[in-house]
Amino acid sequence: MFKKILVANRGEIACRVIKTARRMGIATVAVYSEADADALHVELADEAVCIGAAPSKESYLVMSKIIAACRQTGAEAVHPGYGFLSENEEFSRRLEEEGIVFIGPKHYSVAAMGDKIASKKLALEAKVNTIPGWNDAIDTPERAVEIARDVGYPVMIKASAGGGGKGLRVAFNDREAQEGFASCVREARNAFGDDRVFIEKFVEEPRHIEIQVLGDAHGNCVYLHERECSIQRRHQKVIEEAPSPFLDPATRRAMGEQAVALAKAVRYQSAGTVEFVVGKDKSFYFLEMNTRLQVEHPVTELITGLDLVEQMIRVAAGEPLAFRQEDIALNGWAMECRINAEDPFRGFLPSTGRLVKFRPPQEVPGQVRVDTGVYEGGEISMYYDSMIAKLITHGATRDAAIERMREALNAFVIRGPGSNIPFQAALMQHPRFVSGDFNTGFIAEEYPRGFNAADVPHDDPALLVAVAGSIHYRYQKRGSGIVGQLPGHEFRIPSGYVALMGEAAYPIEVAEIPGGHRVRHDGEHYDVLAEWRFTEPTLHGTLNGRPFTMQAERVGLKYRLFHWGLQATVAVVSPRAAELMRLMPKKAPPDLSRFLLSPMPGLLREVAVAAGQEVKAGETLAVIEAMKMENVLKAEQDVVVAEVLAKAGESLAVDQPILRFK
Amino acid sequence: MHDIIRQLEEKREMARLGGGQRRIDAQHARGKLTARERLELLLDDGSFEEWDMFKEHRCTDFDMQQQTVPGDGVVTGYGTINGRMVFVFSQDFTVFGGSLSESHAGKLCKIMDHAMNVGAPVIGLNDSGGARIQEGVDSLGGYAEVFQRNVLASGVIPQISLIMGPCAGGAVYSPAMTDFIFMVKDSSYMFVTGPEVVKTVTHEEVTAEELGGAITHSTRSGVCDLAFENDVEALALTRRLFNYLPLSNREKPPVRPNFDPAERTDESLDTLVPGNPNQPYDMKELIAKIVDDGDFFELQPDHARNIVIGFARMEGSTVGIVANQPLVLAGCLDIRSAIKAARFVRFCDAFNIPILTFVDVPGFMPGTAQEYGGIIRHGAKLLYAYAECTVPKVTVITRKAYGGAYDVMSSKHLRGDVNFAWPSAEIAVMGPKGAVEIIFREEKGDPVKLAEREAEYKAKFANPFVAGHRGFIDDVIQPHETRKRVCRSLAMLRAKKLENPWRKHGNIPL
Repeated sequence: MFKKILVANRGEIACRVIKTARRMGIATVAVYSEADADALHVELADEAVCIGAAPSKESYLVMSKIIAACRQTGAEAVHPGYGFLSENEEFSRRLEEEGIVFIGPKHYSVAAMGDKIASKKLALEAKVNTIPGWNDAIDTPERAVEIARDVGYPVMIKASAGGGGKGLRVAFNDREAQEGFASCVREARNAFGDDRVFIEKFVEEPRHIEIQVLGDAHGNCVYLHERECSIQRRHQKVIEEAPSPFLDPATRRAMGEQAVALAKAVRYQSAGTVEFVVGKDKSFYFLEMNTRLQVEHPVTELITGLDLVEQMIRVAAGEPLAFRQEDIALNGWAMECRINAEDPFRGFLPSTGRLVKFRPPQEVPGQVRVDTGVYEGGEISMYYDSMIAKLITHGATRDAAIERMREALNAFVIRGPGSNIPFQAALMQHPRFVSGDFNTGFIAEEYPRGFNAADVPHDDPALLVAVAGSIHYRYQKRGSGIVGQLPGHEFRIPSGYVALMGEAAYPIEVAEIPGGHRVRHDGEHYDVLAEWRFTEPTLHGTLNGRPFTMQAERVGLKYRLFHWGLQATVAVVSPRAAELMRLMPKKAPPDLSRFLLSPMPGLLREVAVAAGQEVKAGETLAVIEAMKMENVLKAEQDVVVAEVLAKAGESLAVDQPILRFK
Repeated sequence: MHDIIRQLEEKREMARLGGGQRRIDAQHARGKLTARERLELLLDDGSFEEWDMFKEHRCTDFDMQQQTVPGDGVVTGYGTINGRMVFVFSQDFTVFGGSLSESHAGKLCKIMDHAMNVGAPVIGLNDSGGARIQEGVDSLGGYAEVFQRNVLASGVIPQISLIMGPCAGGAVYSPAMTDFIFMVKDSSYMFVTGPEVVKTVTHEEVTAEELGGAITHSTRSGVCDLAFENDVEALALTRRLFNYLPLSNREKPPVRPNFDPAERTDESLDTLVPGNPNQPYDMKELIAKIVDDGDFFELQPDHARNIVIGFARMEGSTVGIVANQPLVLAGCLDIRSAIKAARFVRFCDAFNIPILTFVDVPGFMPGTAQEYGGIIRHGAKLLYAYAECTVPKVTVITRKAYGGAYDVMSSKHLRGDVNFAWPSAEIAVMGPKGAVEIIFREEKGDPVKLAEREAEYKAKFANPFVAGHRGFIDDVIQPHETRKRVCRSLAMLRAKKLENPWRKHGNIPL
């Protein structure tokens, strides 16, 4: 076994690899860019080597620097993680030449699977299902119909130069094939100046399901079941789970055996993933093979009990697999949410900056797992991926895994940059997701206009009201302990309140009971028992015996509650105040369309216009520098500048007005 | 006897109605509560003890004797906030537009005199059209009587003003003399002369809101300490401010039960100060992470944002916080920030509230605007305030403490009791670049050598140890243990006794 390995990656995956290596008694070397000098993976590793400037091209992607770091530290092997150099044939080859072991597949396997056409040919030879179709240009409509019949309806007619839905037709019969061919050719000629058109089988309601394989240097290869990765946003996976709610044991075995056949065909020795597209009729077709560890590998680990990184290291060290196919378990259900630093309510714009608060939920072996590479007080840099953590839960059933995920998301505290937690929470309670009825089009279909706060329904307002009532009582109680009160006329905590949430008013009665409060509303009572410290945002407790997790913060008069993706604002006031509150004017929020707001926190480099200036759409208004990147703000329409509200050199908060227009 | 009791009830009923239902409805239509409704929300339930409910004006000019309303346009008395005593007045806009008559003024003076005698704060809810013109000079005299009491009460009992309607002309000077002014957005304004007069005299077209609304005074002028959305919010948060204040200068600030351990550490503070000395960071994160439960009651958050002031608690006891804000103007001191902080420091000193100062200041703001504006005198206010202060003073230098601004910000030399520095502190006459250009002027043409000198200077002075060698810093502390160290220091200083030499009063550079 190796004595020391180098991890040629950063972030959560570097940390995750280091943890396994440490458990195996192997020393670790981290590499880092200048932007990552204080990163968690650097702190976790036994040694760390700086390999250059922040941009990946000058650090994590420079092979010679990583090889030099191996030389300098005496690392015998390199784990590449995912991304960066993980599927780079040259890197794998150069390491081999240097006598350093690449913890991953051999370069010939990488090369064979790296090319789309070659890999498809290989798959065909290995008797793996590939999407039937015609890969040469078709010249006449008659020929198109002939091919379509041959492939079997429905078929997809697509332009060679097409993309993003353009130059694409679906045909369910001969007539549609004929018409579709003609219009596709026309569109392709007009749009791309290239009228070559192909036909292939159209997979209805496609799911993205992938098979994890593991091979060793002794010709053994097994499959570790599937992962369901159909929940994607713009081809980025959002949620992954194992097993798939769609597969039956026979399909699973068929897919697994084909994946193993393909892996064996390229003498695959490591962990790898064979991706399939699966239609609603359970037909499945090979897409590609990923010759690396996948982001979503933890769900496989939780259902099989295997540590994939450990297996990769053992295989790379020449050990044979210690188990056979029939030994591979499929235990319960695992679910993974990718936690990204992005703002789901602003079109998922990446969010960067200082993590003012970062408290992942408590890890519970076999139930809740958190893979992360960041920490509270750390910086999210815009040079790298926005994924800052993976939250993985396991349960005996799919429902149990989902339930655990919902609670874990409730407990995940991130302040500073935005996160996609509200979106993940909304997905976790979406009836279609919960029922397992979805395909790769799910997010586009269900959230056609992006994600909005209104997309997070809360089916239990009484819970929010009861918790707000309980918290308010605690504040009242603390306040009533102040010294210097008039003897005999001390403050008595009232029991009657009104909780105001949105437009609704909930009259409540609050009383202390051991360990918490009893909140009465509308003839029902809610016993809120919770450990609550004013300092901590997270509240774990029970409501009428049912456990819940919530985040609560006091902001001015109100309590901001975070639960199931919803951010609710509740004011708890006296009945008289609630009555008088109704007299208060409803103020329309200011019309922000007349302002240029800073889309991100940053430094105002330049204001390119002056008051009174007429600006044409597309002209530069201001330049903001955030994390060393210049962001040019341009006029969206013709406008006249009324007032300049911020000066160059000023630090801007998100949403801070820069200009006012007439 | 029954008759008398009935009569009393009738009179009370009449007084409660103020200017009548029609005017009450009009008040509500403006988005404002009535004088009595406001007191209901400000004070503990049922604690209000009203005085002078039957007091009426004695004016007979302009047939005023025909129009009398019991109470004469102001509700006065005392009550409790969280069980602690407070005197209050609440002007009733429904009665003569809340205008101030001689007897109206007399009611204010009565409660102010009592407040001084018993040592309890005064909270005034202002909603008045101004002087009762029919009374002429009697009304003016009434104002002056109030002003005089405001001044005598200053520094003896806390005085808080809420502006919840008009407050114009001479009337502004009573709130102006109190310690805190809160305003309600859209329904209150304060100015010495109104838009009409402004238009005739200076030909400026300006609305009342633009001239003296809550936004104007909480951002531009700094007259207003906090601007609120509506009456309910303003009153509820006034209660919260009240909880931080002692009842008078004879008392220690109040202590409240605390559940936040003094020993709590926060590792994320170790990475708060960025490696690059020119990169800003948010000082409010530090404040929120070290005070009890992260509760910080900030004052003037939108005015002179380069300095942060407000109240918080450490181990349950009130502290006043003053902090440079590197996010705005790099935390430089300028005229507005010096005045803002100086006034706050003096309030704390007057009322025995310890002052916790966080320093990251590159110096005073340069420029003609500042010099012509009198930064010399105005900057001196902050220096004077800190130097005069006898309450416990604990200071933490997080990064830059350059030049005269270092001296000003509660330095050891100004009787700072405990002065800490973070390892990232740079206590020096100026930044390395500027210093090197002066000391090695003859090497100016040689950038390589200059860079060398800069590095040398940086190594030598851009750290807390030089000041440490001289005892100007009591200790260099780890950022994560800031709360613990500050709590201990404040506990040690609880019985601090220090007196300035006797004098009639000092001459602060006003």
